[in-house]
Amino acid sequence: MIENSFNRRGFLKVLGWGGATVALSGCGNTSVEDGKEFVTSYVQTADYIIPSIGTYFNSTCAQCNAGCGIMGRVREGRVLKLEGNPKSPINNGKMCGLGQAGVQAHYNPDRIREPLLRTGDKGEAITWEKALALINEKVGGVKAENVAFLTGGVSGHVKALLKNYLDALGSGHHYVYEAVAPSIMRAANKKAYGVEMPRLHLDKAKVIVSFGADFLGAWISPVHFSQQYARFRKADKGERGVLVQVESKMTLTGANADRWLAIRPGTEGILALGLINALAAAGVSVPGDVVGAVKEYTVDRVSKDTGVSAEHIGKLAALLKERSPSLIIAGSAVEGYAHGSQNATAIALLNQVLGNVGKTVEAPSSVPFPQMAPTAGNRFALQALNDNMAQDKVKVLFSYGANPVFTAPASMKLKENLKKVPFKVVFAHYMDETAVEADLVLPLNSALEDWATAMPEYIAEGAQLSIQQPLMEKLYPGTLGMGDILLALLKQRRPEEYKGYEDFYSYLRSAMVSIKGALGGANEDDDTFWDTALSRGVVKLVGAPVNISSNASAKGLVVPAPFVEDSAYPLHLIPAVSASMRDGRNANEPWLQESPDPLTTIVWDSWVEMHPKTAAKLGIVEGDIVEVASRSGAIKAQVYVFTGIHPDVISMPLGYGHEAMGRYAKGVGVNAFKILDPIFDKETGELAMHETRVKVSKAGQRVVIVKDEGPAGGNQMGRKIAVRMSSSKVNLSEEV
Amino acid sequence: MYCFLRLSVLLVGLIVSAGSYAVNAVQPLTTADDLGPKVEQPIEFPHDRHAGDAAKGGMQINCMYCHTYARRSIVAGIPPLQKCIGCHQSIESVRETPRIKKLFEYWEAKKAVPWKKVHDLPDFVRFNHERHIQRFVFAQNKPVQEACGYCHGDVKTMTVARRQKPLSMGWCVSCHQKDHPVDATSTKTTHGPNDCWQCHK
Ligand code: SF4
Repeated sequence: MIENSFNRRGFLKVLGWGGATVALSGCGNTSVEDGKEFVTSYVQTADYIIPSIGTYFNSTCAQCNAGCGIMGRVREGRVLKLEGNPKSPINNGKMCGLGQAGVQAHYNPDRIREPLLRTGDKGEAITWEKALALINEKVGGVKAENVAFLTGGVSGHVKALLKNYLDALGSGHHYVYEAVAPSIMRAANKKAYGVEMPRLHLDKAKVIVSFGADFLGAWISPVHFSQQYARFRKADKGERGVLVQVESKMTLTGANADRWLAIRPGTEGILALGLINALAAAGVSVPGDVVGAVKEYTVDRVSKDTGVSAEHIGKLAALLKERSPSLIIAGSAVEGYAHGSQNATAIALLNQVLGNVGKTVEAPSSVPFPQMAPTAGNRFALQALNDNMAQDKVKVLFSYGANPVFTAPASMKLKENLKKVPFKVVFAHYMDETAVEADLVLPLNSALEDWATAMPEYIAEGAQLSIQQPLMEKLYPGTLGMGDILLALLKQRRPEEYKGYEDFYSYLRSAMVSIKGALGGANEDDDTFWDTALSRGVVKLVGAPVNISSNASAKGLVVPAPFVEDSAYPLHLIPAVSASMRDGRNANEPWLQESPDPLTTIVWDSWVEMHPKTAAKLGIVEGDIVEVASRSGAIKAQVYVFTGIHPDVISMPLGYGHEAMGRYAKGVGVNAFKILDPIFDKETGELAMHETRVKVSKAGQRVVIVKDEGPAGGNQMGRKIAVRMSSSKVNLSEEV
Repeated sequence: MYCFLRLSVLLVGLIVSAGSYAVNAVQPLTTADDLGPKVEQPIEFPHDRHAGDAAKGGMQINCMYCHTYARRSIVAGIPPLQKCIGCHQSIESVRETPRIKKLFEYWEAKKAVPWKKVHDLPDFVRFNHERHIQRFVFAQNKPVQEACGYCHGDVKTMTVARRQKPLSMGWCVSCHQKDHPVDATSTKTTHGPNDCWQCHK
């Protein structure tokens, strides 16, 4: 009775005026847990370590292959936040959002904590000794040629150790696989310029025409390119550079462009040749054989083929003629077709005709230690491995830094072929789709608790070795670094050579110290050299300059006519590589799921981007669940209606739709890799990512899309804040 | 019945508030007026022996010799074990006493001493040691033990430290409302900041 009438509200009312002081000072013990919590001090510590004040240590970002230098803020022995390392010329102290999420890879609750051996459907925890002995036994029991090592792009000392291990086994089967890599462009560049990865000087260009290269978002070294782009936009010379983006699906870079031109998918090469023709007609000196080869690419024909209006082609050609040097970039949209190599070559030819080679397309320098030079991955490697597995040629498979079960198109039947391999070892952070198939899963240290060195494929100037050092103690005693594992495996094979190294750290240190002369430490004692290298996080290498050539020729260059209509599968599917999600390897970091896609603002799900005209034709509105079916499979996702896409095209982001990996990735969205058709670039044999044709049909449901933009979508709530203008009304020459 | 209860609560509230106001008003700074619970520590550290007056057998060590972080960081911190050992490895006379033996056991095992927190504030309160020490000790030239004592009481007379002050918001504010000279020489005075966000950020 008393409890009932004396309610909380009445009590608060009384306190409200009479008991203010009671609440402030009289209410007993306001300390939360006096004498209950521990306040742990260091046993030994350096003078510069002050509790609650962060100390910064330099390391290297491992979230993508760009290899930016990072600086981790460490407090009380825990890494809290990452910043860019100002001493790294790749990123000059800046970072991207994907890199920031690196701490979530480290503190991720789904990390594997001890080696697991398959027993039936379950993984049984075993010791490292047992795991390594088992590997020794298994590789000893098969012929060396039946051992295969699948990795993502590798470089530095881990690559050197890996090579030594494979040599020790007598097997050369190292498959370097990256699901999303500019591998066709590399081959075309090699032919045209003599180098796979020339340096692009965005900052020196006055005009950039980017054919679908998302260099501000996800392409090669986005943080570096963003900085160059800033200088290009606000040049010292006073002239603001003009960016024209030509692509079928708008990327983040396209959204930043002065002019975004929607092009029919696959006709990029045609436009490039048409521009050469138009430039020749406008009086730019073009070699005779090239003129002959492109003379059929008249403005009218090119306009008809590409869907870019004759007016725009004319303006673009005029712009390129007027402003030199320029830079033409071939991005992933160019190379994603069966004629991807021809497309890329046509663009290289355009660069050459414009005289950009040597000005904005420059030679990289060579790497003095080829055993540590980056081995860039491609998609062909997985194809080759898959064929070998299908023919029972692989008896022991190692997989590191790749998740092929997730990224392989269903048509490859990779999962079935994997079952033919009797012993599969997967080095992993999470139980991802590939680890789930493994016989032995070896848990890796996170990038923030591991030692490594890296040589990024794209380096802005000179050559450099980036150092990855632990920013804190290991979270779980049962994980090991890749270097440590390889060293342990090498000790099994070549004990004499490696017995002197207690762990990978001691190997790394002595390897670096032994070449300190080449690493700029000739006059320093070992400790000084090593400490300086660690505190800087990057070591400069003196590389010899490589010559760049202008070999692109029109000979044998045929860019096929645009696609013919396919009435059964009328739309092109563009699998989009987003800045956060990339190929999906980081999908279990919730910040990346939570940060909205820059163009659609969608979070925590996949979507199908579709032009309003196409949507209207199909009777689809935003939020409709549709089935996207290719010849290789079908998936369902929500539709987002968006004007930044060609009407013949739909686009779905890659990286979503995990069936395993962890609580934040599993079951979120759908996996667009799965429905890619097995169509390959004719010259390189690389999977042509943009070749897949699809049909779209309504699946019946409709959902409210979870996104950051308001319910009125891109309509600015009807308030006309930034006024839209149709592109035909804009005069490009006035704009620039 | 209901009304009666309300009235009684009201009266109690008034009396308690008046009472506690009176306590706040006459509060001396370095004595105990709100004793916290006794905290059992892994080693019964004798603050009196280290910091106490020489006349009473103390070594008169400056608080900041061990709690060196207080003047540089928001937390005072507990000194690293290495600091204890730094002196004690050359103090033979007490080397074999139980507490010091235990201390060396931790050191040899390279294990941190699991000290218990005596002064714990809620997580939504941000108290900054550095600001207070810089102001009182370095700007106003107050003796260190007095400055620390404002909040921690007369630690030099204790063995294991025990909370002496309420460390509640009203208690903090009671001091922040008072005028203090800005530095040792000036006649200008000011009071501590009273904005909410100074502590609740
Ligand atoms: S671009 Fe890549 S390497 Fe650089 S910060 Fe972003 S994720 Fe890290």
